[in-house]
Amino acid sequence: MFDNFGMQAAAAEIFLIATICVVLLVDVFLSDSKRWITYALSLLTLAGCAWMTLSYGVNERVSAFSGMYVADPMGDVLKLFSYATVAVSFIYARDYLQRRALFKGEYFVLGLVALLGIMVMISAGNLLTVYLGVELLSLSLYAMVAFDRESTVAAESAMKYFVLGAIASGMLLYGFSIMYGIAGTLQLDELAVELRSVESPIGLVFALVFIIAGVAFKFGAVPFHMWVPDVYHGAPTPVTLFIGAAPKISSFVLAVRVLAEGLDSLVANWQDMLIVISVLSMAIGNIVAIAQTNLKRMLAYSTVSHVGFILLGILAGTNDGYRAAMYYTFAYVIMSVGSFGMILLLAREGFEADRIDDFRGLNRKSPWFAAVMLMLMFSTAGVPPFIGFWAKVEVIAAVLDVGLAWLAALAVLFSVIGAFYYLRVVKVMYFDEPTDTVDIQAGGTLRAVLSLNGLAVLVLGIVPSVLIDLCVRALP
Amino acid sequence: MIQLEFVLLLAGLLFALSVAGIFLNRKNMILLLMCIELMLLAVNFNFIAFARQLGDLNGQVYVFFIMTVAAAEAAIGLAILVVLFRGKKSINVEQLNEMKG
Amino acid sequence: MPGIGKRMTLTSILFYAFSAVLVVAALGVITARNPVHAALFLVLAFVNSAVLWLLMEAEFLAIVLVLVYVGAVMVLFLFVVMMLDINVAQMREGFTRYAPLGIIVALLVVIEIASVVWVKRLGVDTTTAVPAAAPEGYSNTQALGELLYTHYLYPFELAAMLLLLAIIAAISLTMRKRRGFKQQDVAAQVAVRPQDRIRIVKMAPEKDA
Repeated sequence: MFDNFGMQAAAAEIFLIATICVVLLVDVFLSDSKRWITYALSLLTLAGCAWMTLSYGVNERVSAFSGMYVADPMGDVLKLFSYATVAVSFIYARDYLQRRALFKGEYFVLGLVALLGIMVMISAGNLLTVYLGVELLSLSLYAMVAFDRESTVAAESAMKYFVLGAIASGMLLYGFSIMYGIAGTLQLDELAVELRSVESPIGLVFALVFIIAGVAFKFGAVPFHMWVPDVYHGAPTPVTLFIGAAPKISSFVLAVRVLAEGLDSLVANWQDMLIVISVLSMAIGNIVAIAQTNLKRMLAYSTVSHVGFILLGILAGTNDGYRAAMYYTFAYVIMSVGSFGMILLLAREGFEADRIDDFRGLNRKSPWFAAVMLMLMFSTAGVPPFIGFWAKVEVIAAVLDVGLAWLAALAVLFSVIGAFYYLRVVKVMYFDEPTDTVDIQAGGTLRAVLSLNGLAVLVLGIVPSVLIDLCVRALP
Repeated sequence: MIQLEFVLLLAGLLFALSVAGIFLNRKNMILLLMCIELMLLAVNFNFIAFARQLGDLNGQVYVFFIMTVAAAEAAIGLAILVVLFRGKKSINVEQLNEMKG
Repeated sequence: MPGIGKRMTLTSILFYAFSAVLVVAALGVITARNPVHAALFLVLAFVNSAVLWLLMEAEFLAIVLVLVYVGAVMVLFLFVVMMLDINVAQMREGFTRYAPLGIIVALLVVIEIASVVWVKRLGVDTTTAVPAAAPEGYSNTQALGELLYTHYLYPFELAAMLLLLAIIAAISLTMRKRRGFKQQDVAAQVAVRPQDRIRIVKMAPEKDA
């Protein structure tokens, strides 16, 4: 009964749970002026997790806890990337939170629990752990969106997010329950074996519809994207930054674990559904983004369109496709963190800097950060030589490989349409007059990390092999 | 003799009723939360019926976890509702119109 | 054994009867005019489901459903409904307006049922007879417990984390410090020293004039 327990494979998760409790306890005894200790402890926790993952890294698939937990090279890479993303999110958030009297332990504790949810999803070997991971992540995100209690807009968007998210979880579970009935197992690897011998796939397709609906919601893909703009707009910017970054890694891994590993025999069926979702996401995301004046809303619709591209890689259904989707996810997360980081950089007391007009004449005030934003926007638009260009090339190549040339053509078309609204931000920064003369007030750490973030987009674009090699090692 | 088809039909009916309820009560947050509970109940019926048919307890364990999560979810949902009510003195979704686009 | 056939029919009669009540209760939840009534209908639905689960030999879950759901979650719902003092008339305004949408969704219900009725084509193996009732002395609770604390240790710990998360989230969202709120500070009371409170004044004795 206790064979294959393998607790050490889950060392990082165990360490994280223990330190969450420590952070929570320490935070209670801190006065507001000593709150930086919580912040420092959270960053130390992330460093500790990274050390655990590195020292217990695996070269092949290992399962633990009676198959509930799976460790593989892909999981290790994704986890390390998640730690880095969460750490950068925390660093960017600090100044903003302090200035608005929101610098409380909850942001960091909820963020760490969300990270735990992401890690559980990354290492899920069973439909039950998939579900628990999804809920750990979603429940902490709902609470984070509402955590500025003075803001009614935030509470409103949290409520919308909560209701729609709970419905999506219900859909996902309904699909899981039918899968369980047909295959008679909850283990993802056994599920894959059982489903290969099922003769009539009508019941499976029925279940698959519900599962795809749930997965598409977590991604924020059309037609389940209604929550994305409202939540991105309504949540405090540090929370938007958080939601826009690390959870995307979990959406990717949810699709890979459930669709690619558990339901790989149904690839023909889910490929068709994902094609529809992907095309709609690219179309609606890019076209509606053009009409936005609020930068957070614009980036929300841009997320929807990028999700369409990530799904392109997944729907290819090949190992190359998954690798391309993983590369795209990494590239997107780096760009997304940077773009929201720019909003946080410009924000000051009583000024959110979340309208496109707030970026007017940034070049006069700070040529360097205007250049950083320029690199981020060009990369998001997919202009060479930035990283966003290579990500698009990879997914389009993966789609071409499986003979979907028309889909690749559509993807190129939509990325050209999408370039327009990113360039508008650049135009506003360089060719418009500034509306005020207030200097950037952000602290040194934020400036330094954001500069590195901007440079990463350029350097990883000039030397794309660094990140691609990492993806190859994760998904050989 | 309880037939599997019948239980699945019952669960399907419950699930569809909850979805219909979500559409009917789009304005009322607290009823939406109740419809979500109903939806999870339908899922639980599916799991229990299959667990019985398959003679496999794993389905029942899954239900146990769904109930745990649903309780946590209800607590957080109601907390958000209270925050919202304090701010707006209403839980009517139609009055939630601060965001457009 | 002549008794078995009879017992089987009794089980199915009970099952159909409680299922009917369950569906009616669910209808009540989605159409009730008053949120308190809706909550009470939901309680009815849960209690009925508990009976149905007992009939399906999921004894432990049936008890948990009554204890956790009816006993805790629904009471929480009722508390919030009462506390928020919701305007009932305003609540129902949009109901008829959304009725056509409801009918469309009801059509979805029909499609759902149709697809589930073809359960044999769902691919589920229903040819094997429903397993016989568990032998005497079998404990569903024990069997679940054995699974839960061995194979399901990892999910069990995660569920604990989820509940902790719910506590953190609910407290951080709803607890607020009110201004002018009077509170005992026990530590300060205990730490107080006599010399902080009483001042002994040395005075020169006053003489009578």
